[in-house]
Amino acid sequence: MTDKTNDPVAMWQKMMGEMEKGFNSFANQAMSSPEFSQALNRAGGVAAGAQKQLGELMEKYLVAMHLPSREQVTALAERLQSIEAQVSEMKSMLSQIAASSGIPQSLDAAPRPPRTKRPPSENGGQT
Amino acid sequence: MNAPAGLDFASIPERIQSEVQRAIQRSIKGVEYFSTSGPTLGSTPKDVLHSRGTMSLYHYRPMSDEIYRVPVLIVMATTNRGYILDLVPGQSFIEFLLKRGYDVYMLDWSAPRPEEKSLRMEDYVLDFIPDCVRRVQADSGEQDVSVIGYCFGGVLSLLYGSIHKDGPMKNLICFTTPIDFREMKLFSNFSDRRYFDVDHLVDSVGNVPPEMILSSFEMLRPASRTVSQIQLWENIWNDEFVKSYRMFDRWATDTLPLAGEYFRTITKDLMWDNKLFNDTMSVGGRAAKLENITVPILHAVAEHDHIVPYDAAKHLIAKIGSADKEEVMLKGGHVSLVAGANAVKRLWPKLDSWLGKRST
Repeated sequence: MTDKTNDPVAMWQKMMGEMEKGFNSFANQAMSSPEFSQALNRAGGVAAGAQKQLGELMEKYLVAMHLPSREQVTALAERLQSIEAQVSEMKSMLSQIAASSGIPQSLDAAPRPPRTKRPPSENGGQT
Repeated sequence: MNAPAGLDFASIPERIQSEVQRAIQRSIKGVEYFSTSGPTLGSTPKDVLHSRGTMSLYHYRPMSDEIYRVPVLIVMATTNRGYILDLVPGQSFIEFLLKRGYDVYMLDWSAPRPEEKSLRMEDYVLDFIPDCVRRVQADSGEQDVSVIGYCFGGVLSLLYGSIHKDGPMKNLICFTTPIDFREMKLFSNFSDRRYFDVDHLVDSVGNVPPEMILSSFEMLRPASRTVSQIQLWENIWNDEFVKSYRMFDRWATDTLPLAGEYFRTITKDLMWDNKLFNDTMSVGGRAAKLENITVPILHAVAEHDHIVPYDAAKHLIAKIGSADKEEVMLKGGHVSLVAGANAVKRLWPKLDSWLGKRST
């Protein structure tokens, strides 16, 4: 067996690990300063403002191109979502009715196992 | 010249041969890496019980002949996808629970749509979770429900439990759940109220973009991503390493946006005013004090958690009103605590032995 202290691959891996820890620790220290927070949030604020302006510009462009506006697409999505929710509710109600009347819910629906399991310690260590 | 202590000259040719073979394998596997899509995640059979906007409730199909009376509802963190708890067979927490006889449901999140930017903390705590609990009760036919919350899913579960103190939550398990947000030092500095204008951000972008959430996670360990890519290249000959890397990397980068109003409340109430820790938190005008929670609780924390440091999580058990409460600290990080090879040996058996006897 090669001794790890002289194994170049192990030494490389150890060095990478140490470098990672050292850099993370150094960066964490730098990022803990109020100056970092100020710079980070100044840049973030500018980016958020730019994103908002770009969004508004895109909306004007879409209107000019006679494409559906964001509101129209959203309204369609909401209607679709509402239909999906109603279908889901109906499905759930049908399942409950089927379950209460003993009808199998679908061809591949297996019967649920009984809720009688006891913890292994009460069963003499069985799992 | 003497050989340095410990250096075995006889092993050098063998070592060189092994390294050459690995170098060849790296080239072959490297091409494979970019031409394949990685393992399929989250494939444990399940049914969608309910879906509404950002919220989905799944029921996993039982894998045991007999199940515990009390069903389990897992509440996932709102920043990430639930498949971290259902990676691949043999490394799936969900599959483990099913095989141990639990009836498992999961409240998972998808990216909130732009029109969902107005979702508030109230929607999550007083609507989504209670709605899912009611549906679990109806589907299982049981009144009692055990809740497992991961990371911020734990915070939501705590808020839910502290407001709904008369039930139906029977047991609560939190994984790496922060309550003292001052101790999340870097997040706290990133969101310093003197410089971070959360109103400007939310009013400008609506939902907080996932890139921003991912960057803030990655900034906690800025060198780690580069080092992990170097490690991937070194180990690309090793199929198991590559499979594991792809699973975790895909999940870590699959970050969700956060609903704007919800993010505003997290920033102001939790990051700035630390209200959960100070017992001044309220949701929709209803007080959410941790002492109101009196059900059995297990809090699992990770020794090397860089996202939720122990100092941010350590007061939870002391502040909870339950008589039956336990904190367990396990080796690992924020993610390896709950998923992957180490979790299989450490957290999962511990959770099973704790929850099994409280699920009858």
